[in-house]
Amino acid sequence: MSNLVIELRGVRKAFVSPGGEIVPVLDVDGFALEAAEQCALEGQSGSGKSTLLNVISGIMRPDAGSVFVGGRDIARFDEASRDRVRADTLGLVFQQFNLLPGFTALENVLVAMSFGSGRPDRRRAAELLDAVGLAHRLDHRPAELSVGQQQRVAVARALANRPRAVLADEPTASIDKAHQEQVIDLLRETCREQGAALLVVTHSSEVASIFPRRLRLEDFNRAARNAPRPA
Amino acid sequence: MTLLGIAWRNIRQRLLTSGLTALSLALGVALVVATLVTGRLVNRAFESGSGLGYNMIVGAKGSPLQLVLNSVYLISKPIENVSWAFYQEFLPADRRPDGVAGKYAASTQTAVPICMGDYFRGHRVVGTNAAFFGRLTRGDGRPFEFASGGNFEDEDFFGGVLGAAVAANLGLKVGDSFAPTHGADDGAVHDPFKVVGILARTDTPIDRGVFVNMEGFYLQDGHAKPLAEGETPASAPPRQSGHAPLPFNQREVTAILLETASLPGLPAELTAMGLRTAINEGRDGQAALPVAEIRQLLDLFVRPLELLLLLVTALVVLVSAIGILVSMVGSSLERSRDVAIMRALGARRSHVLATVLIEAVLLAVGGGLAGWLLGHLLVGAIGPWITTNAGVTASVFSAAPLAEALLVPFLVVLAIVAALLPAIAAYRTDVAKWLQGPG
Repeated sequence: MSNLVIELRGVRKAFVSPGGEIVPVLDVDGFALEAAEQCALEGQSGSGKSTLLNVISGIMRPDAGSVFVGGRDIARFDEASRDRVRADTLGLVFQQFNLLPGFTALENVLVAMSFGSGRPDRRRAAELLDAVGLAHRLDHRPAELSVGQQQRVAVARALANRPRAVLADEPTASIDKAHQEQVIDLLRETCREQGAALLVVTHSSEVASIFPRRLRLEDFNRAARNAPRPA
Repeated sequence: MTLLGIAWRNIRQRLLTSGLTALSLALGVALVVATLVTGRLVNRAFESGSGLGYNMIVGAKGSPLQLVLNSVYLISKPIENVSWAFYQEFLPADRRPDGVAGKYAASTQTAVPICMGDYFRGHRVVGTNAAFFGRLTRGDGRPFEFASGGNFEDEDFFGGVLGAAVAANLGLKVGDSFAPTHGADDGAVHDPFKVVGILARTDTPIDRGVFVNMEGFYLQDGHAKPLAEGETPASAPPRQSGHAPLPFNQREVTAILLETASLPGLPAELTAMGLRTAINEGRDGQAALPVAEIRQLLDLFVRPLELLLLLVTALVVLVSAIGILVSMVGSSLERSRDVAIMRALGARRSHVLATVLIEAVLLAVGGGLAGWLLGHLLVGAIGPWITTNAGVTASVFSAAPLAEALLVPFLVVLAIVAALLPAIAAYRTDVAKWLQGPG
C-alpha cells in the first residue's frame, strides 16, 4: 500500500487573463508527500504556490492530470466530494490566518469539525488549543488575541479533524521575524504529535531551511520557469 | 457546531444590523397584529350588538343605519323623535290609558322605549323604563347581571343604572348622584339622578351607557314637547313617587326596541316582515332590522376598511422583509470572506446556502415573535380607549387566533424568499479569490 498522502501526476492549470490570453500557472509532472513527512516549498510571487495548494486541497480542479489525496484522485471528484475530502483529510493554515471574527477561539476550531464526517468534539477542540498554549483563551474572539495567538488558533483549527496532511500557505508572512521560527516550530511539533504530514509554502529561504525536505517550486513547475519575474 | 449555531453566531457578529432589521420587522408585525386584533374586536362589537333581545327598532323616518347605530351602539346622532301616541300603538290594552290594544300590539312581544339627547361626562344618557333590563337580554341571550345594586323601579323617577365601563371610568358607585347635561357635555345641567345599579360587563355598547328612568328624564328642562295652540296637557295617571309625571301629549320617544311576536298561523319572520312593511308604509316612523343593517354596514364599510388597513400593514411587513434582503446584501462583502473560510474548511455550497437562509429565518422568527408580543402590548395599551369607544373588552390577551397563527409562517416564507439572493451569492462565492492573492 502506498505511503503517500499527496501525489500529483501530470497536473496542469491555466487561467485566462483579462485580455483573453491563456496563462499557464501549473505544469507539474510529479510531486508527492509521504505520510508524516515535513516539506517546505519555496517559490517567488507568481510561481503558482497558492494555485498548487488550491489544487491539492480541491478548492480548484486542475485542467489536466491527477491529484491523489489519501489515495483518491480528487481531480475526478465533483465539488461536493472534493469538499468532503478536504474536510476529512486536510488541514489548512493561511497567510492571513482567516479566523472567523464572530467566533471564539474554541468555536473557530469547532466550526472546522462541523464540516468533517465526525461530530464536533468540544473536548478535543479544547485539547488542541491547550496544545498550542491557548487553554486560557478559549472564549476570546480573534480581535481579542495577538497576531501570534491568532496563528496558534489557526494551527489548532487545521488539526481539528485529525487530517493526514496540513497545508500551510505563507504561515509566517504576517509575523515578525522574531516569532517566525516559533510558529514554524509549533506547526512542525503539533503535526508530528498528531501524525500529520506538513507542506509549508513560503517565499522565505530562512523558513524553508528549517525543514528536512526543501523544494523550489520553479524546479518542478515548468509554468513557473517561464513566468515573468517580479521586479 | 450545527448550521443553526453558525447562523446564530453570524447574527451575533452583525448585532447592530441584525438587531435593526429584526426591529423593523417587529414594528411591521406589531402593526399587523394590532390591526388584526382590533378589526376582530370591532367586528365582534357589531356582531354582538345585533342580538340584544330585540329584533326590530322603530324610530323617526330617515336612515335606518343611523337609527341602528344610535339606538344599539350609542353612536351617531338621533334622527328625530316619534310621538308617544305612536309608541302606544305597540302596547297591549292593559298598558294603555284607553284600555284598547294598539294597532301593532298583536305583532309585538316587547316594546321598550328609549329617549336620548343627554350626556354625562362623555357618555350617552338613555332614558328608558325598567323593562330595558328586565325584558331585554345582553346580546348573547343571557339576562343582564348587576355587579352591584340592581335595576331601577319604574316608580323611582330619579333612579339610574350605569354600564360597567362608565362606572369604572368615572369611579361611580351605587348611591352616588350624577347630573346629566342637556344636548352635550357643556349643556344645561339637569337634576341629579341616583345610581341604583351598576351592570356587570357585557362587552357590548351597553357598557358605555348611562341609563335613567325616562319618567325623571321627561321632567328635565327642554324635554317636554311644546303643546300646540289650544291643546291642553293630557294628565298622566298619578304615580306613587310623589312626582307629577309629564303629560302623555308632551312626551316623545327617540326609538322603540321591539321584540316581535308571532301572529296566529304565521311564522315569526313573516310577522316581523309584515310589521316592518306596515310601519314603513305609514307616516309615523320607520322600522329597521338591526341584524340586516349591521351586516350591510360590515360588508360595505367595515370589512373593506379592515382589508385596506391589513393591506397597508402587510406592505409594511413586506418592506421589513426587503429590509432583511438589504441588510444581508449590505453585509455580503463581509460575509463573502467568512463563507470562503468555511468553504476552505470543507463546508459544502449547500451548507453556506442553508446558513444564510437559517439566518434569515432566525431574524424573521425573532422579529416576528417580538412584533407579535409588541402588537398585543399595543392593543393592551389602547385597550381602555377601545373599550370606551367600541364597548368591547380589549386587552393584551385579545386575539385573532387564526390570522395570528398564520403570521409567523408567512414571515418565514417571506424571509426565505428575501434571503434567496444573498444565499445564492454566498453559494457562488469564489473561495480562492477571497482567501489568497495570485500565487
